[in-house]
Amino acid sequence: MKYLIEKFGKINTSVLFLCIFFLILELVGHRYGETSIEDILFFPAFFGYLSCIIIFKIGVSLRSFLMKDEDYYDK
Amino acid sequence: MISSFPPGLIMIIGALLIPFLPHIIRQIYMMVLILVSAYALTLGFGIHSKIEIMNIQFIIFQSDALTLPFAIIFHIAAILNVIYGAHEKHWNQHVAIMGYSGAAIAAVHAGDLLTLFVWWEATAFTSVFLILASKTQRSYKSAFRYILIQVGSGMFLLTGAILLMSETGNAEFKNFDINSLNGQLIFIAFGIKAAFPLLNGWLQDSYPEASEIGTVALSTFTTKLAIFCFAKSFAGTEILIIIGAIMTFYPIFFAVIENDLRRVLTYSLNNQLGFMIVAIGIGTELAINGAVAHAFAHILYKGLLFMGMGAVLYRVGTCKASELGGLFKFMPITAICTIIGAISISAFPLFSGFVAKSLIMSALGKEGLVFVYFMLLFASAGVLHHSGIKIPFFAFFAHESGIKTKEAPLNMIIAMIIASALCILIGVFPSYFYEILPYQIEYQPYDFSHVVGQLQLLTFAAFAFICLWHFKIYPPELNSTVLNSDWIYRKMIPGVLLPLLGLISDVNKKIEQFIVFTFISIKRFFSDTMIKNKVFDREVGQDTLIIVQLFVILLIFIFVWKIYL
Repeated sequence: MKYLIEKFGKINTSVLFLCIFFLILELVGHRYGETSIEDILFFPAFFGYLSCIIIFKIGVSLRSFLMKDEDYYDK
Repeated sequence: MISSFPPGLIMIIGALLIPFLPHIIRQIYMMVLILVSAYALTLGFGIHSKIEIMNIQFIIFQSDALTLPFAIIFHIAAILNVIYGAHEKHWNQHVAIMGYSGAAIAAVHAGDLLTLFVWWEATAFTSVFLILASKTQRSYKSAFRYILIQVGSGMFLLTGAILLMSETGNAEFKNFDINSLNGQLIFIAFGIKAAFPLLNGWLQDSYPEASEIGTVALSTFTTKLAIFCFAKSFAGTEILIIIGAIMTFYPIFFAVIENDLRRVLTYSLNNQLGFMIVAIGIGTELAINGAVAHAFAHILYKGLLFMGMGAVLYRVGTCKASELGGLFKFMPITAICTIIGAISISAFPLFSGFVAKSLIMSALGKEGLVFVYFMLLFASAGVLHHSGIKIPFFAFFAHESGIKTKEAPLNMIIAMIIASALCILIGVFPSYFYEILPYQIEYQPYDFSHVVGQLQLLTFAAFAFICLWHFKIYPPELNSTVLNSDWIYRKMIPGVLLPLLGLISDVNKKIEQFIVFTFISIKRFFSDTMIKNKVFDREVGQDTLIIVQLFVILLIFIFVWKIYL
């Protein structure tokens, strides 16, 4: 625990434990989704994590294409 | 008398007196105006007021189950705007905000398209002053583009209304057929104001250029008025599902790379409008309730986020992520309120976004629109990324920017606390909130599956961000301009059109030179041969003489033409 807090900081470690807690919750109760795919174990967790990484990756790759100088329109 | 007075109109008329009042009295006066306007909401549903001008009937005050929630939230937002802007001593923005709020409220109560058109344009002409209030070259140019596009939208609406009148004899504001020309024109008019894909450039261009007070007001009325109009006229139009899904999806990527945090919020606004448009496209009672609930909740939490960033801008003078950071210790209340706004927009349970967004997601699930459902789920993770984390993190935490400042003015704090409280109250007591929605339905957002699923999605998306930041994969924010659809009319069209106009001008000049040369040659010919040889004895002006000569030549030409051809 101490190692985690030293390594990742208090807030990050708290988020990590929250993630684990919500996974355990799913094991305790029965979770179902609006669609059948969502019924897969820990689906929202995987989906949330992957979505965020994909959004980041696409966003970064768009930087070279969409990002221009600050005075681009003033030139 | 007051029963026939449309809500909002009293605010527009009353705004004219604002410049003549001292500061404190002015603030009280504006509150009274809003409360008087809100009194008309107690009158119940039906047509309350009509006028006839030149045999055309204008339904200026009608209300139903759809108008009520929009009217309520517009009045609440107007009150929050007055409180938030109370530190501003000059009257100009207060007049603009009062007129703008009043026009939007009056538009919601319009019963025909011509009345709607009047208030539609009034929202444009009043709100543009909020962009001009920044008093920068960029804001002036942006305001010019903004008003052109808004008026353009009004022209589509007016043309659609006139076509409708010519076909049916009236321009009642009701359901329209997307397959008819008038329906399509009205659809485009609403689509421009709702910032549809490729029509959205004005939103990201103009809102971040407005004053700190102005952006809060702007984020409330224009786009949500368009949402109201779509809900009233195009509920169940399937193309809206596709358009809305695209709207939820693509602004996420722009928001991720944008450096100006107020501009990030405008992309986020665009993304949230997408949720509402999808729900309207579905058109079921649950979905329409979802769209209205989302618009209602969104006005509060997006307003709150803009208030937080406005406070930062007011104190620090910038909203750029690359220049901010570490402001939490100087502006803790602003930071906490902004975090509440961020949690609400991310749709965490017990906050307003959750109880509103759940309705839309359930409606999608019930209709079996799986692909769109997952697009919106993906967009939900994106919302957490850019609005839930990026906004508070880069403004108040991230790195030490070295900026030393103080907490926002008291009036701003009060407005932010009220908005935060409303976000929480709606989230904690959803049943009261659902009662004001257009349709009475049984819906329970807080079941085990909903709550755990949403919490897993959000916490793991947040954990992904933490990993990216902690392992220094997340790139630094840079001062930059992110290209958007406004690039089409700001760069591409001038880039293509100006050289083309130059070419046309060159060709025109050559033709002119040729004509002049020919004319001078003919003139010289006649001058040399006829005038110098004294063909005409009388003194006649040379130009007159030339005309006479040309006329004679023309006669000879016609004569030869008729005889020989």
